Amino acid sequence: MIVGRIDGLANAVIAHGVGSRQDLPLPFAVAVTGAGAALVVSFAALALLWPAPRLTGATAGRPVPARVAAGLDSRTTRVVLRVLGGIVTAYVLAALVLGKDDADNPVPFVVYVLLWVGLVPLSVLFGPLWRRVNPVRSLHLGLMRVARLDPREGVLALPAAIGYWPAAAGLLAFTWLELVAPDNATLPVLRLAIALYVGTSLVGALTFGSRWFDRGDAFEVWSALFGRFSVLGRRADGRLVVRSPLAGLDALPAAPGLVATVAVMLGTTAYDGASNSPRWFTLVQSSSSPVLLKTLGLVAVVAVVALLFTAATTLAGRIGGAAPASMPGAFAHSLVPIALGYVVAHYWSLLVLEGQNALIHLSDPLGTGADVLGLGDRAPDTTLLQPALVATVQVAAIVVGHVLGVVLAHDRAVRLFDRRRAVVGQLPLLALMVLYTCGGLFLLFSA
Amino acid sequence: MADMRGPGALLVAVLLVGGCAAADPPLAVTTTPSTSTTSSSTTAGATAAPAPSPTVRTVAVTVTGKRVSPAPAVVRVRADETLRLVVTSDHDDDLHAHGFDVQKALVAGEPLILDLRGAAPGQYEVETHDPPLRLLVVQVR
Repeated sequence: MIVGRIDGLANAVIAHGVGSRQDLPLPFAVAVTGAGAALVVSFAALALLWPAPRLTGATAGRPVPARVAAGLDSRTTRVVLRVLGGIVTAYVLAALVLGKDDADNPVPFVVYVLLWVGLVPLSVLFGPLWRRVNPVRSLHLGLMRVARLDPREGVLALPAAIGYWPAAAGLLAFTWLELVAPDNATLPVLRLAIALYVGTSLVGALTFGSRWFDRGDAFEVWSALFGRFSVLGRRADGRLVVRSPLAGLDALPAAPGLVATVAVMLGTTAYDGASNSPRWFTLVQSSSSPVLLKTLGLVAVVAVVALLFTAATTLAGRIGGAAPASMPGAFAHSLVPIALGYVVAHYWSLLVLEGQNALIHLSDPLGTGADVLGLGDRAPDTTLLQPALVATVQVAAIVVGHVLGVVLAHDRAVRLFDRRRAVVGQLPLLALMVLYTCGGLFLLFSA
Repeated sequence: MADMRGPGALLVAVLLVGGCAAADPPLAVTTTPSTSTTSSSTTAGATAAPAPSPTVRTVAVTVTGKRVSPAPAVVRVRADETLRLVVTSDHDDDLHAHGFDVQKALVAGEPLILDLRGAAPGQYEVETHDPPLRLLVVQVR
């Protein structure tokens, strides 16, 4: 949960943390049905799915009509998106710098709900959108233009070994801010965090060129990995194509730090679910250093996710007769749908409820009583928060994520593994996926 | 493949059975479903208690430093039920019930009575702010 600081003064202000409402636990029967479905699908996949690889990743897809492609890639589209990103950023920065530090300030809602969670469905629909609007990338671009330098060039070449590691670290840092940091919905903390983020991003980009953003920027990577689901993708030959989400994910190349990034995406969401159990927060709040304990918990969940995945895929490689050391990277893409399932299940109601609150608060960014967007007197609509609907969305997200993960892993296994051992070779990863899926359902059920 | 189905199913069964056990801890808080609506008027300083509701559950919580007694737990109420919280702290603090949008000042040693009712289905935390402590989770069905 994201908590705001309360002034101890006897005033009537009620502090609303962002996300102070949690979903009801998943009904037992629903959780069991989901787990059963996941199990059946997993073994059916082994028996029934194609025996030879079908997914063609980066070469798959049907080109979109030339005119559409030209429009999407045009300078006008790029400029419009950058300007829109800049305007929204300036609007939010005004609330960050000049706004009142109270429960109605929109900035925490924008950061933790619209940006972090809202970016997920937008990316799933439209692809790696954030690189087109990222205001820090725009700022860097502007600076380099003024200096008459090529934005792609930095002082140093970005070493290939760095890969996704900065993004993994950035995502972990952001989730730490979201789930652990004290007073994380207050303006002083948010000002510091945003200044740190913009500062490190700019230094990274000036040092290594704009390529830094591609793999080093936490939000661009967050958007790009979920953007693999989009039916709109870019083929190896650079053309915009319409392709299946499976093809998009299959085209994700292995790179250093990719496993860590995906483990952070999955593990931090799992920690968020687990940390709401009374047993855990009782332990935390009665300890002498709650922040340290929560940090350790967060890192431990991520580490367990990463270690189990590395162990399962390495074992799979040994059984299947493929180079074990390259296996975690080769299968990392199959965890992305499971991570998406976790994110949808955990943040659906947060996005629906607090996303609307974000827009309502954005209508009065400085706390002056303004009603810029004409939403000031509106209350959030709760149609999409009915318990039965939420439970259905949660289980469907987890199970569909699992199925996509299994299919992706199956295709990769029959591509990489010795033909006769491909089925047995899949078992360790399949078992792990069942564990992740049942674990996810268990967290929702026991929440 | 067939022989893997057993262990897999077992794993799930273990997870789910474990989950079942973990999700239903014996309710540690002393809940006294009081049907009477007449006895409620005796407590001075009670929040302007609205029209008597069909059922009132009472939960008493004591805060001593950073210790919450009884240990935080999930308290289940129906949407039409009123949850009466009686909170006593050994220090001045704020008591905040999320979802019910109630925040009241806690005075050291004085029981504070809070009637919670009317939140949408969901789970909400009741917390203090100095130090930040979650006292319980109210589950509204």
